[in-house]
Amino acid sequence: MKFAVKTLLASVALASVMPAASFAEGKTIAVSWKTFQEERWKTDEAAIKEVVEAAGNTYISTDAQLSASKQAADIEGLVNQGVDVIMVVAYDSDAILPSFQLAADSGVKMISYDVLVEDPNALYVTFDNVGVGRLMAQTMLEKGKTEGNFAFIKGDKGDPNATFLFQGIMEVLQPNIDSGAIKNVCETFTDGWKPDQAQRNMEQCLAANNNAIDAVVSENDGMAGGVVSALEAQGMAGSVPVTGQDGDHAALNRVALGTQLVSVWKDARVLGKTAAEYANQIAEGTDVTTLDGVSTFNGGPKGVEVPAFLIAPNAITQDKLAEVIDAGWVAKEKVCAGVTAGSVPACD
Amino acid sequence: MTDTATGGTGAASRNRDSALTRFLRATEIDSRILGMIGALVAIWVGFDIYSGMLRPSDGLFGGTFLTARNIWTLLVQTSSIAVMATGMVLVIVMRHIDLSVGSILAFVAVVIGSLQVFWLPQLGLPIGHPLIWVIALVCALALGGSIGAIHGALIAYAGIPAFIVTLGGLIFWRGASWAVIRGETVAPMDKTFKLIGGGISGTTPGSIGATASWGIAFLICAGIVAGLLYGRKQRRKFEFPLRPVWAETFLAVTGCVLVLGATYVINRYYWPTGVVNRWAEQNNVTVPEEGLDISFGYALPVLIALGVGIVMTFLATKTRFGRYIYATGGNPEAAELAGINTKRLTVWVFALMGTLAGISACISAARLDAASNALGLFDELYTIAAAVIGGTSLAGGLGTIYGAILGALVMQSLQSGMTLLNFESAYKDMVVGGVLVFAVWLDQMYRRRLK
Amino acid sequence: MTTPLVEMRDISIAFGGIKAVDHASIDLYPGEVVGLLGHNGAGKSTLIKILSGAYRRDQGEIYVDGKQVEIYNPRDAKALGIETIYQTLALADNVDAAANLYLGRELMTAYGTLDDVAMEAECRKVMGRLNPNFRRFKEPVKALSGGQRQSVAIARAIHFNARILIMDEPTAALGPAETAQVGELIKQLKAEGIGIFLISHDLHDVTDLADRVTVMKNGEIVGSAKVNEVTQDEILGMIIAGKCPPNATPGPGAVNL
Ligand SMILES: Nc1ncnc2c1ncn2[C@@H]1O[C@H](COP(=O)(O)OP(=O)(O)OP(=O)(O)O)[C@@H](O)[C@H]1O
Ligand SMILES: [Mg+2]
Repeated sequence: MKFAVKTLLASVALASVMPAASFAEGKTIAVSWKTFQEERWKTDEAAIKEVVEAAGNTYISTDAQLSASKQAADIEGLVNQGVDVIMVVAYDSDAILPSFQLAADSGVKMISYDVLVEDPNALYVTFDNVGVGRLMAQTMLEKGKTEGNFAFIKGDKGDPNATFLFQGIMEVLQPNIDSGAIKNVCETFTDGWKPDQAQRNMEQCLAANNNAIDAVVSENDGMAGGVVSALEAQGMAGSVPVTGQDGDHAALNRVALGTQLVSVWKDARVLGKTAAEYANQIAEGTDVTTLDGVSTFNGGPKGVEVPAFLIAPNAITQDKLAEVIDAGWVAKEKVCAGVTAGSVPACD
Repeated sequence: MTDTATGGTGAASRNRDSALTRFLRATEIDSRILGMIGALVAIWVGFDIYSGMLRPSDGLFGGTFLTARNIWTLLVQTSSIAVMATGMVLVIVMRHIDLSVGSILAFVAVVIGSLQVFWLPQLGLPIGHPLIWVIALVCALALGGSIGAIHGALIAYAGIPAFIVTLGGLIFWRGASWAVIRGETVAPMDKTFKLIGGGISGTTPGSIGATASWGIAFLICAGIVAGLLYGRKQRRKFEFPLRPVWAETFLAVTGCVLVLGATYVINRYYWPTGVVNRWAEQNNVTVPEEGLDISFGYALPVLIALGVGIVMTFLATKTRFGRYIYATGGNPEAAELAGINTKRLTVWVFALMGTLAGISACISAARLDAASNALGLFDELYTIAAAVIGGTSLAGGLGTIYGAILGALVMQSLQSGMTLLNFESAYKDMVVGGVLVFAVWLDQMYRRRLK
Repeated sequence: MTTPLVEMRDISIAFGGIKAVDHASIDLYPGEVVGLLGHNGAGKSTLIKILSGAYRRDQGEIYVDGKQVEIYNPRDAKALGIETIYQTLALADNVDAAANLYLGRELMTAYGTLDDVAMEAECRKVMGRLNPNFRRFKEPVKALSGGQRQSVAIARAIHFNARILIMDEPTAALGPAETAQVGELIKQLKAEGIGIFLISHDLHDVTDLADRVTVMKNGEIVGSAKVNEVTQDEILGMIIAGKCPPNATPGPGAVNL
């Protein structure tokens, strides 16, 4: 390993002396995925690959298969191969820090993709997660309800994202809660973000409040499905606004049908495209801090300040459904299944 | 057949026995079931009183728990696990275990979900076609049964322990369900299929209404009386000692009162106003000032669970199949030597378990009105816990269907009650886990004392 | 001479390296009781378990009524009218006496359901003959005494019109009265023309009840003899030393002196 680091240091030193030579060769940009078993990363990959290759660079990738140690070895291997930039979707953001250090020492530029790694030198590209919560709450206030009994269906208690989201939601709703306009009447975590669990929790919430529920803030689309089923059993679906996120196809259909107010959509292709464009620029030697649009972020658990670009998510409500269809994210028939003709512009 | 609490011991011991023991012997009631019902009543009353202290409502003791609506919901929520627990009893009695039921449930759910939403419409059956729910249901049973049969064959003929085969199944089928729909959620289900879950589809409820509920209640009462009379006739025919008439009457009256009482409570849960208004609008009825009270009646999933419970009890106690399962669980070698084909039996038991998981898949997907690969996560644990809380011995040979159903009800009561009281979910898990261990310990103590 | 009811020829079986039964041949005629004797571990139980379908032999042939048969499992044996009382009793511990008596051959009602009441009634009759003091019909057999369990096992073997009965130490746990009862029963069955293999360590029992004895040692047959043509001491010599007396037919296990 020592040997590898030395040779790399040497090659990096060489590269910095002769930037023009490496420009002609094309750069190598690598991605260390935490897993490739989930469908969504394939979307990201396609977007990244397209941008990287369009710039004449080479794309390579590794799959950590949900193992922190495999990911560390992957990054070490990529460093040894002499790649220029590594994007990392970290499996364990603490355990991976030494690998970031190693890469930085070897002159390889790092980007933490979607998952925050608190390394002050690594660029963090992600969706604004607290923003997702804020956006849900804002949409609720603007297009749903501003007062009444609110139910909060939170995600898994072990997932920090569930808490982040809730922070964002509360930031926006707090004034109305303080003024007494909004009453928090139920608030539950949902094991494993399970829809059927969310349904049960919602049923209990409705029973406990004798159906006096005016709005439901659900932290994702799957759980929103459970919530809507529970509401439907009481004949309340459609009259009680429900939030969600992920742009699930079934959820977008509910948005079209009017039983769900909003699905906050994080278009993985925008994320991939943005990160890949930055990677191209960094590979050419542009300093991270001077990149267009990059600011700093220190909202992680340790409070380390990192250069960051936070992509604003998109709140898909009924009037914005055309955006997901036009982007090719979901087929129109799927969104519009069962929709009464003429009721939703995007479906006509 | 397998209960140990009854029996004609000598007259000498009879004099020493307490009134309770004499009562139990005369009525031939399993005292463990009394214990479980006692625990259930304690949980229900406790939750009702406690929730009433926080927020008074119109429950029996002033709380939210013992309202018609909550009992109705509780039964619906229990049904999916209860259905699978009846099969798990037989699996455990055979000295096996099935860890894969939750994953089978997910797989069957996503397949029949895709079938209704994508595949059948592509094959020319438009969405909403009346055949769709039938095809989906049949496929669910066949698919669940075949998966179970494959597991059973691997266990019986390849000699791989059930723990390993079904642990593999737990991982495999969860993965397979992801693969079928690539992590998406399939929704919504067919309008008729959805009724299996007990929810409302438009203005058609997934429950049978007041009149039919009373009908079923009276039918069950008639069944209870007929069963007692038939048993008495059989005993007389072979000149066996008869139960005292007061004991028979007591059983008949208690059984009927329970059934009719439950029906009365269930029928007091009325359609929510939103649905009533929609229904009234469609049928040109004017809703009176004080509202319309339309009863839900028993929900379909509850009736399915009830039916499964009756059929499974029949299978377990009245057929060769059941007799062989218990005999094999008691002593596999003896069963084999008696000429029982224990291998084939194993395949059948697992196939049955898979079929029940298929039924539960329909209930779960219909109830949620969606199918996703996360459906039924951890259900294997709840199913096993229900069977075990219900008195099924992991050593094999012992366990009853009604015990497992009661076990499922106890667990769901705890969970619903704690959600109603806004318990944090971490504490909920701790309570449910603790109760599982406590229940098994109680059962062990009870059995030891019996010896 | 009539054809033997059962003939086992040149049977061998090994468990791992141990030859539990080694080229053993044995036969049985209708209405005959053959005593099977030998020290502990001689291979008696293993040999008869091959006949009852519990084990599959490695080598050899089995004939019933002079016709070669294949016995792969206990069901095959039962179909040929071979019933067995196992040394280990082999009862399903968690069900009651009636369920054990009819295990695998349950009585059914007209509706195709188990007829528990009829089975219990039959069971009461059979047990009444074998063990008149038996009362615990509702209990799982786990709760019964060793002798009571043995009565249940015997009842099960004789109740289904066996033609060939194998009894592996049937009286080991029985009291004197019950033992005498079983002795009477054997005589009665014999009179009905049933062939019986009787395994026992009690020489008196065997010489009282059996027509012939066959002795095994270390998996091999030492020899067979008519009971009235050899003395008890000679039989003991066969069992202990493998010495075949002049009146007996020697087998492969006989020690050459
Ligand atoms: N299932 C088995 N697996 C391995 N070895 C076995 C098995 N059954 C029997 N044996 C061995 O085969 C030999 C013969 O056993 P068997 O039970 O036939 O003896 P036995 O003559 O019936 O003795 P006993 O008088 O003690 O009942 C013994 O050495 C025993 O250890
Ligand atoms: Mg033996």
